[in-house]
Amino acid sequence: MMRRLFKHPALANPLAMVGFIIITSIMLLALLAPLIAPYDPNAIDVKAILLEPSAAHWMGTDGLGRDVFSRMLYGARISLLVGIVAVGIATGIGIVLGALSGYYRGWMDVVIMRLVDVMLSIPTFFLILAVIAFLTPSIWNIMIVIGLTSWMGVTRLVRAEFLSLREREFVMASQTLGAKDGRLIFLHLLPNSLTPVIVSSVLGVASAVLVESGLSFLGLGVQAPQASWGNILTDGKEYIQFAWWLSLFPGLAILITVLGYNLLGEGLRDALDPRTAGNQAR
Amino acid sequence: MIKYLLKRLFWMVPLLVGISLVSFLIMHLAPGDITTTEAGFNPKASEESRQKLREIYNLDKPITVQYGLWLNRMATLDFGTSFASHQRPVFWEKTDPQGNVSKGLIQEALPITLLINVLSLTVIIAVALPLGIVSALTQNRPPDRAITLFVFIGFAIPGFWLALVLMYWTGVVNSWLPISGLHSLQYDQMHWLGKVADTLRHLALPVFISSLSGLAGIALFVRNGMLDVLHQDYITTARAKGLPENTVVYRHALRNALLPLITIFGLSIPGLIGGSVIAESIFAIPGMGKLFYDAVLMRDFPVIMGILTIGSALTLLGNLLADLAYAWADPRVRRGVLK
Repeated sequence: MMRRLFKHPALANPLAMVGFIIITSIMLLALLAPLIAPYDPNAIDVKAILLEPSAAHWMGTDGLGRDVFSRMLYGARISLLVGIVAVGIATGIGIVLGALSGYYRGWMDVVIMRLVDVMLSIPTFFLILAVIAFLTPSIWNIMIVIGLTSWMGVTRLVRAEFLSLREREFVMASQTLGAKDGRLIFLHLLPNSLTPVIVSSVLGVASAVLVESGLSFLGLGVQAPQASWGNILTDGKEYIQFAWWLSLFPGLAILITVLGYNLLGEGLRDALDPRTAGNQAR
Repeated sequence: MIKYLLKRLFWMVPLLVGISLVSFLIMHLAPGDITTTEAGFNPKASEESRQKLREIYNLDKPITVQYGLWLNRMATLDFGTSFASHQRPVFWEKTDPQGNVSKGLIQEALPITLLINVLSLTVIIAVALPLGIVSALTQNRPPDRAITLFVFIGFAIPGFWLALVLMYWTGVVNSWLPISGLHSLQYDQMHWLGKVADTLRHLALPVFISSLSGLAGIALFVRNGMLDVLHQDYITTARAKGLPENTVVYRHALRNALLPLITIFGLSIPGLIGGSVIAESIFAIPGMGKLFYDAVLMRDFPVIMGILTIGSALTLLGNLLADLAYAWADPRVRRGVLK
């Protein structure tokens, strides 16, 4: 039934659709934050400290009397920005290294694959924290560090795709006709290997959002007064006995966002990958 | 088997060199001298501590010499002493000329983190295996749907948030479980059974938190692995020759579906070690994660570099063990047919 309504299989996949709706709603809220937010997210109001959720403050206020709903909206901007930029960096590095490795093979492949192995054997969270210890924590450093420590999966995916595509007839035909390396890579190999990369990028945003909120929660991510879901939760921890709303809302926001990206990613994988699609039909 | 072991050990050499390079790079990542950066964000950094940094990482020597000395530190597992006021050795105990033994920081923290990880892995196996099997056997029916929902939530739930909520609910509201530390105050006077029970009570929440995302991942993995295997021809053959369904599922299918799990466990070690930072720092468990977090906050560089190296070495060791276990379990790998 549903499949007839939509032409593209990705749209017919209910999981992907739910994920897509969640993500677009949160993105809209984040983009329109200045229009929606009822208060200035950083405005301190000493007469409104730790107020329960009410008509005036939908999600209550924090220990400095700031409106939690407004801070949540601006926090959404940070979470999504960090997630998307970090994954952009990781995907960029992954595509370049994976393409070099899979296309040229030989010593370049050996070196790049060993580098992947090395990066995979250093506990990621330790690596991220160590780098942050040497730099200063800021939103830009967080994005760069998460990006630089999460490109290994994409590299392996692109390399595997390139290795198998290189042996296909259409690539050989093009090569025989005298196509140069650049043309082969950008016109034939890359476009045909993007499907798994898109899926892994969407799933990557989910884990980047989790890492960023974890770092901010530990005080090593986005720094106050800039709002992020992670650092609202840090306040929540402090006031957990008096102000449940400070913990509940950011936690739920992270949960829903990550769930949205995971649903979208898994749904896309099911819809775009003929192998698992066949598996489901059986 | 011996030949396989030697081959695997040989493969670890380039990885160790790579790890030494990456960690060396991190040390020099800070713009300029790490001593000046430290001073930049830590006004308390005295000339004395800068001098110590220069000494420990030989920052006044040429870069190649510095790297050689860093390699030497890694090879001898001597990561110097902590910058904290106790000045304890980073890795293992040392005896000073007066005969006083000071315990190594990692020496004390590592067993605790290993205990948490072993318990987490046990919980993961005990819960994720049945979930995955049930899910595969009831594909697309209500039990499978419910388990899949649980898996997605397990992936998405921020561990530190759940930790916070559970801590509040079981510790503050109901006081069922202790919410911080490893032992109760009366620990020393307890019977050994009481000691075990006390430690387990303290570890219940941290173990639950650190096993949650692994649990979801492994359940999904077992489900998909079982589905793959159940659709293979030899399963149809087994059914066709009239074997009982239980024999088909548990003897023929499950065994093959579980093989790749060994590798997955090997691969999940860096995540478990790294993930210990959040669980341990929330519940104040004095393991590697908390040690590392405190070191990062204090910019205690010798401890940071020591844990980074030891953590990576443990990961390599875990992967090696996983590969050996795989070779032991699957004769095709051992004889070099696969891989």
